[in-house]
Amino acid sequence: MLGSIYGLIAVGYTMVYGIIGMVNFAHGDIYMISAYVTAIVLAVCFAFGFNAVFLPLLIALLLAVVITALYGWVIERVAYRPLRGSGRLAPMISAIGMSLVLQNYVQISQGARSQGVPTLIDGNLTFGRGEDVIQISHTQCLIIVVAIIGMAALTLIIAKTSLGRACRATQQDMTMASILGVNVDRTIAWVFVIGAAMAAMAGVLVSLNYGTFDFYIGFVAGIKAFTAAVLGGIGSLPGAMLGGIVLGLCEALFSGLINTDYKDVFAFSILVLVLIFKPSGLLGKPEIEKV
Amino acid sequence: MSRPLLRETLLTFFVALVIFLPITGFILKGYDYQLAWLRPLLLAIIVACGRLVLLLCRRRSAAMGGWLAGAKSRLAAPLQLLTAQQRHLSYALPAVLLLMPLMVNEYWLTVLISVFIYILLGMGLNIVVGLAGLLDLGFVAFYAVGAYSYALGAQYLGLGFWTALPFAMGLAACCGVLLGFPVLRMHGDYLAIVTLGFGEIIRLVLNNWLEFTGGPNGVQAPAPTFLGLEFAPTATQGGRPLHEFLGVDYAIAYRYTFIYLLSLLVVCGTVFFFNRLKKMPLGRSWEALREDEIACRSLGLNHVTIKLSAFSMGAMIAGMAGVFFAAWQGFINPTSFTFFESALILCIVVLGGGGSTGGVIAAAVVITLLPEILREFSDFRLILFGGLMVVMMIWKPRGFVVAKRQQFEQAE
Amino acid sequence: MFSRLFVGLVCAVGIAGSGGVASGKDKIKIGLAGPFSGFAASFGEQLWQGGQLAVKHINAKGGINGHKIELIKADDACEPKQAVAVANKLTVKDKVAAVVGHFCSSSTMPASTVYAENNVLMITPASTNPKVTTRGLQTVFRTCGRDDQQGVVAANFITQRLKAKRIAIVHDKDTYGQGFADEVRINLRKAKLKEVLYEGLTRGEKDFSALVTKIKSVKADTVFFGGVHSEAGPLVRQMRQQGLKAHFVSGDGIVSDEMVVTAGGSKFVKGVYMTFARDPREQPAGKKIVAEYRKMGFEPEGYTLYTYAAVQAVAAAMAATLGKNSRPNGMKMAKWLKSNKVNTVMGSRTWDKNGDLTTIDYVVYKWTFESKNKKYRELRRNEL
Repeated sequence: MLGSIYGLIAVGYTMVYGIIGMVNFAHGDIYMISAYVTAIVLAVCFAFGFNAVFLPLLIALLLAVVITALYGWVIERVAYRPLRGSGRLAPMISAIGMSLVLQNYVQISQGARSQGVPTLIDGNLTFGRGEDVIQISHTQCLIIVVAIIGMAALTLIIAKTSLGRACRATQQDMTMASILGVNVDRTIAWVFVIGAAMAAMAGVLVSLNYGTFDFYIGFVAGIKAFTAAVLGGIGSLPGAMLGGIVLGLCEALFSGLINTDYKDVFAFSILVLVLIFKPSGLLGKPEIEKV
Repeated sequence: MSRPLLRETLLTFFVALVIFLPITGFILKGYDYQLAWLRPLLLAIIVACGRLVLLLCRRRSAAMGGWLAGAKSRLAAPLQLLTAQQRHLSYALPAVLLLMPLMVNEYWLTVLISVFIYILLGMGLNIVVGLAGLLDLGFVAFYAVGAYSYALGAQYLGLGFWTALPFAMGLAACCGVLLGFPVLRMHGDYLAIVTLGFGEIIRLVLNNWLEFTGGPNGVQAPAPTFLGLEFAPTATQGGRPLHEFLGVDYAIAYRYTFIYLLSLLVVCGTVFFFNRLKKMPLGRSWEALREDEIACRSLGLNHVTIKLSAFSMGAMIAGMAGVFFAAWQGFINPTSFTFFESALILCIVVLGGGGSTGGVIAAAVVITLLPEILREFSDFRLILFGGLMVVMMIWKPRGFVVAKRQQFEQAE
Repeated sequence: MFSRLFVGLVCAVGIAGSGGVASGKDKIKIGLAGPFSGFAASFGEQLWQGGQLAVKHINAKGGINGHKIELIKADDACEPKQAVAVANKLTVKDKVAAVVGHFCSSSTMPASTVYAENNVLMITPASTNPKVTTRGLQTVFRTCGRDDQQGVVAANFITQRLKAKRIAIVHDKDTYGQGFADEVRINLRKAKLKEVLYEGLTRGEKDFSALVTKIKSVKADTVFFGGVHSEAGPLVRQMRQQGLKAHFVSGDGIVSDEMVVTAGGSKFVKGVYMTFARDPREQPAGKKIVAEYRKMGFEPEGYTLYTYAAVQAVAAAMAATLGKNSRPNGMKMAKWLKSNKVNTVMGSRTWDKNGDLTTIDYVVYKWTFESKNKKYRELRRNEL
């Protein structure tokens, strides 16, 4: 469940890394912005008397995705495009700066206290009987369903549309693609938009599930999602999703069986170990060192 | 105003409006909200105007370019004068800095101490990133190791300041080697991520190991001592409080002055050490490794020792900075050692134009003093700071001062 | 905003110039330190409202021996590191005469060392960890109770009223949260009840599903949480969502309306128990002031009146010890407070040699949501 959230965010990392080879540190904050947009849209909907559950939810999802995608586009335009072709350090610093800007922008405009979304969907699905029941709340089902739909749509886009073809071409060889008539700048912008949209879905779902969030959630989620992307093999879409689920499961199992305190230590240790022993991840292609 | 210009400006305005509207236009109050129409509108107008100015500038870029070049040459003259005077300056500056405690109040003294600590950190990371070209995003881990080994050493082993200093430096250097070993064959972004993970692991362990480190509640670090004199209101470490020795009233300024002078000394020493190191074979091989690892190895340089020495040197300096930090603050907890701190140090190195000493010092001064000067805008401090990072990268991706490589000439 | 800052700056320069001496009709500066940002910002708001009105009232009556009080707000975000920085700033730069604050015990403890070193009186309205006052610092006081007193009440409630058989204890690793949880644990063990689970969670996290699963698997019938609302809210919500109906008991860290927001709705909070000192809003001494707050549109819940009382105590001690042309002395004020009685908004109060209140009575509250203004109330005898 948590894994699919990580997976959704990880997609953005993996796509951006695959194409321009940079780690987008501001990606986690995009997800945080989406959570805020959701809460605001829901608050406005309720103030205008939409008390049904699904209509406001749908509006919130749509608006959050659209606005957050726009954020992704603008960030790419402002902070990363001017830096294309100026080494790897510069975009990374720029991304860290952008992440700081986003966090503090939200903190200043919304205040530092944690915000909440009212519980919209209640109830559980219950499996088993007697003492040993497993309960999955409806929100969690919704998360899994939306995550699957999102991933399926993304896979379709990448596999079937001309945009997807352009993405894949750019990923393989940026110069060659541009020679062959692919608008590389536009493709990269689209990649940021898609990544942000996926993160937006994650943001909406998370705010619904936990009901509370603050401006700082982006950082932790971002690092975890990045771990997932690396775990699955950075640059690979199914890898990101798989990595997310594996990481979520590992964390849950670790905290359930051993110790909740050290579950983050465990997650980062996985990251370090994977990078040391199998830098290409679970589903990635090994990087060949060229001289 | 021409048409495309207008269109562009309007487009920017609308995009900005849509972006700012939800976050700044509605303030969440519990499950309710409060409208603030003016804020997004104002922001969007500002952004659109900025865009317009930028576009106009770009259109006249030819003219602008000429003006800029003129400005540069006009600026260059006094700069040259400065370099001519540099020799005098380099004698005057330490003297001024030495007398500083007599001239400023305690508050500015503490600010200067933090400047020195950041200079130390910047120098340490400069070895790793600037010279050896190993991107380290978890540098703060060594800083934490230094600070905690002083505080915990005092608590459990009864170590004083002067024993803790070499101990902390050694421990941090060991951690550097420990991190260095597994990441030997990595480079670039992978290395960055592993070091980031390492930094977070250290912080999380400090945060969760309640019995040993005090967890989020932190530990007290004792005040430093000097030849058996203590800089505390009452003697706690078996020495004699300084104010009793001198027969004056206790004031916290004595402690700050002491730490200030000591850190000044250490910074000067480190700068000297660093400049020497750069000219030594070790420093040269770091730079060679940064430029081309494969070529280096085929020329017979041992990349293992080179990388490990870079990591351990950098870590050692950071450990030293950590001890000073703990002694100055008197209290530490894991929130002083977050990823943000790592990013800040990296920022110092990058702004300082990786590899150059003067640049790093200048950047450290700017980055530590800026927030103090901006105190009045304390809410907007970090946002300005982040924005500055982005703008700096776009404007000058190589930093304030581009490191010049020293030329070796045959002296006759 | 800027003009106010400017005035503040001028005042600061003026007073710094005179070396903090309260000569003539200078203002006396009192620091108010608390979490005005971060997860505990709602408690910071309580402190600020409490301090501000108290200062307003004292100034309206002519101030302290003719000196007006100026309150200096200092934000520690409930974060030990910032608390030390703020304490240094207040003592070194602003040269305050006394400090009311901080909120979190983990912030108060390191900060109090700084104040004690600089001989500045500190009265915390809200830090309940016993160690705040028991470390031998002479100038540290509080206007609230202690977790060992609170722990007895909570433990008695759990064993005698809830008749718990299997209790899970959860804390947030903070000085306050863990300290409180440990006190409860000690008292439960005295009553021959051994906990079935004792775990810490990490502050700032939102996902406690693994922890809830653990609580479920040990079949706890009561969960005690030592911590504040920002974690208590999500925890109780996730417990209820996973179908865990165990009682939820916590302490003074959740006495804030934001408990409802962080839990995602009142239906999850309903039925939660908490220990807190008997509501000062119902004391006869504070009736008028409570009414004034309500007229301002602020409900003086939680620690508002405690802060008001702390400012009153500072003012009383200062008025008694401040001679002509002498600077406020922390030690002198502390000595006075330890041997004299202060009439506060919460009734008359005296302090013992540690700086703790001599009387404090903790009771158990329950979130009932009876009306808009009354979300929780004191439990009646024999009621659950």
